Amino acid sequence: MTTTSVTNTEQYNYDVIRKFAIMTLVWGVVGMLVGVYIASELAFPVLNFDIPYITFGRLRPVHTGAVIFGFGGSALFATSYYIVQRTCQARLFSSGLASFTFWGWQAIIVLAALGDVMGYTQGREYAEMEWPIDLLIEVVWVAYLVLFVGTLMKRNQPHIYVANWFYLAFILATALLHTFNNLAVPVSLFSMKSYSLFSGAQDAMTQWWYGHNAVGFFLTAAFLGMMYYFVPKQAGRPVYSYRLSVLHFWALIFLYMWAGAHHLHWTAIPDWTSTLAATFSIMLLLPSWGGMVNGILTLSGAWDKMRTDPVIRFLIVSLSFYGMSTFEGPVMSLKDVNALSHYTDWTIGHVHSGALGWVAMVTFGSFYHMVPKLWNTKMFSNRLINVHFWLATIGILLYITAMWISGIMQGLMWRAFDDFGNLQYAFIESVAAAHNLYIMRAVGGLFFLSGMVLMCYNIYKTIKSGTTEQA
Amino acid sequence: MSQDNKKVTTETTGHVWDEDLQELNNPLPRWWIWGFYITFAFALIYWLFYPAWPIANTYTKGVPGLNNVTYVATKVDGTQETKTTHWNMRSKLMVEMNELHKEQKPYFDKVAGKSFEDVSKDAELMQFVNSAGKTLFSDNCAPCHQAGGQGKVKFAPNLTDDYWQYGGTYENIQTTIVGGRHGVMPAFKAILSDAELTEVSHYVLSLSGEPHNAAAAKLGDAIFHGDKAGCYACHGVEAKGNIAMGSANLTDKIWLWPDVLGAKTPEAKLGEVKTLIYGGMDKGVMPVWETRLKPEQIKLLTVYVHDSLGGGK
Repeated sequence: MTTTSVTNTEQYNYDVIRKFAIMTLVWGVVGMLVGVYIASELAFPVLNFDIPYITFGRLRPVHTGAVIFGFGGSALFATSYYIVQRTCQARLFSSGLASFTFWGWQAIIVLAALGDVMGYTQGREYAEMEWPIDLLIEVVWVAYLVLFVGTLMKRNQPHIYVANWFYLAFILATALLHTFNNLAVPVSLFSMKSYSLFSGAQDAMTQWWYGHNAVGFFLTAAFLGMMYYFVPKQAGRPVYSYRLSVLHFWALIFLYMWAGAHHLHWTAIPDWTSTLAATFSIMLLLPSWGGMVNGILTLSGAWDKMRTDPVIRFLIVSLSFYGMSTFEGPVMSLKDVNALSHYTDWTIGHVHSGALGWVAMVTFGSFYHMVPKLWNTKMFSNRLINVHFWLATIGILLYITAMWISGIMQGLMWRAFDDFGNLQYAFIESVAAAHNLYIMRAVGGLFFLSGMVLMCYNIYKTIKSGTTEQA
Repeated sequence: MSQDNKKVTTETTGHVWDEDLQELNNPLPRWWIWGFYITFAFALIYWLFYPAWPIANTYTKGVPGLNNVTYVATKVDGTQETKTTHWNMRSKLMVEMNELHKEQKPYFDKVAGKSFEDVSKDAELMQFVNSAGKTLFSDNCAPCHQAGGQGKVKFAPNLTDDYWQYGGTYENIQTTIVGGRHGVMPAFKAILSDAELTEVSHYVLSLSGEPHNAAAAKLGDAIFHGDKAGCYACHGVEAKGNIAMGSANLTDKIWLWPDVLGAKTPEAKLGEVKTLIYGGMDKGVMPVWETRLKPEQIKLLTVYVHDSLGGGK
């Protein structure tokens, strides 16, 4: 492989991948740092310092934007460009377009964060960006689609590798979701403020159709694409079942689109939408697990690598967290479970078991495989990868345990009545009761963040050695 | 990543990507496909119990009678009717509210039917007052008056001491909750000179034994009782305030708007008082609760604030 890599740099456009890879790490540190800070604000509100720009309400979308679109998005650009080129044996068909997606996407993340801090927001979760930024996203995303499809079309391989299906589904679905959820009328041409085209329950359902499928396609399908390349590559084993990959792919993308309204259980939406959302969420369980099964069984016959290879450990543990949170999700979407879990920290814990356990862990594993190849070298330290693995795992466990306990506690306290039929607890009592768990959550986040910083150091040293070798 | 350590147990699809990426074509795991069928069966059963599929202008409502909900609705004219309907979110809420109201009602009826004093003397009823009062107070009043009603300087008065700006009898407290309050003091910057403002501030501090300049306070006394400033018109000739308009008693050690007790030095204390007289105050707003709480809830809160928080007169 080392003999071909010199030609690889000419054969493939690695430059844009390297840039996206570095920004993935930068946004990872920024986003997780903001996450730890706002988690600390919830535990110790004094950290607001009465400065409006750094209150929870404004920094929270900065956190979600930086980790989902900055860290996750950059990781997806990097890995999709890496995978589509290598599995098609074709260079990205336009370097200019590739470069445009890089600079465009980075500008979007920065502008979105500035908008959030300045107080410009559409008030739509994960779609806070106001209309000028939305238009920029639209343009960059279409460029991404054109570049990806264009590269697929000029492939030197008869078949399209499974990972690319998932990436293409993610790109198409994200374009659809982004467009329809951001249909809004600006107050004026020079105003940052706009109003949604939809109103009331329809507006809420559009938003959660977007919100849920952002999770489904951005944070699930696309990262499954990542998994389908890096797990068999790192394990040196064929994918377990082609048949399973076809079936769970189509089942996943068909069923996901129906489930969004489960975010709106017990609100003013029609009961039937709520029921359909719950049942399609249940039917999503096995299609979601299809990816986990295919990934984990790919390792059969090479289980010893779990002990010897920390990269494999990252990848397989990410699949386990993926399996756990895709089981938890359907359970929470049942009406009666949701009556307890809705509006509580359980939801926050669920999201983070997916976001930290699945999305971030699979990204870490993939990057430890990909980065040395990009710079034509070896990882600086396997030991540090191992330390990163344990910091991340401990961090996740602290985080989700704290949120499970505080979430279920909140749900129970809010619905507790005494013998007189009066509410047993005032709301503020549930806030006070969660205090120590909020500290525990912040500590968990700190563990995860320190692992991320360690990864940056490890990769910095790796890149440095790679560049020296080349020079 | 050499080829020889791979044990291919099943046929691959025959395609190879990126040097060594291959796919086996293993059959679907049996548990996986059965699991998939089971979730479909689960969905089908769920649809029998709940409203599920839209059809034209209506929707399926589940098997008739399988998952009905019965609740009591109160109509606009006050009469009640029992309704039975297919499962829906609102009816579930109604059932819960029905049950809770049934438990609460005898107690609320007693509170509504008795005088404040009789409620206060009824030990069993006071258990209910404390139970309902705690959450009513915490969820509605505590955001301003703070947990337990201890208040906050420059924001909302303490309800646990025995000083009541608008009166501390049951009736006074009830009136305050029902209609809210709006405390205003005019600004004196255009009426008094800087020297006069300082003098009258010294006088105000002298009333409660705070450090002050006796000579200046004497001049301030004249301003306070003179007709140019006319402070006495609201605060009274003896400066003991007036509960009818909520003007503050200046002779006690309780300060709400100027933070005299919090100020460390005599200069800072003087500054607090002088700033208030200079600019006036228009922040003493308590909202109207008549439109948000039921009369029996307000009556119960009145007893809770008067008796349970302490300090009522």
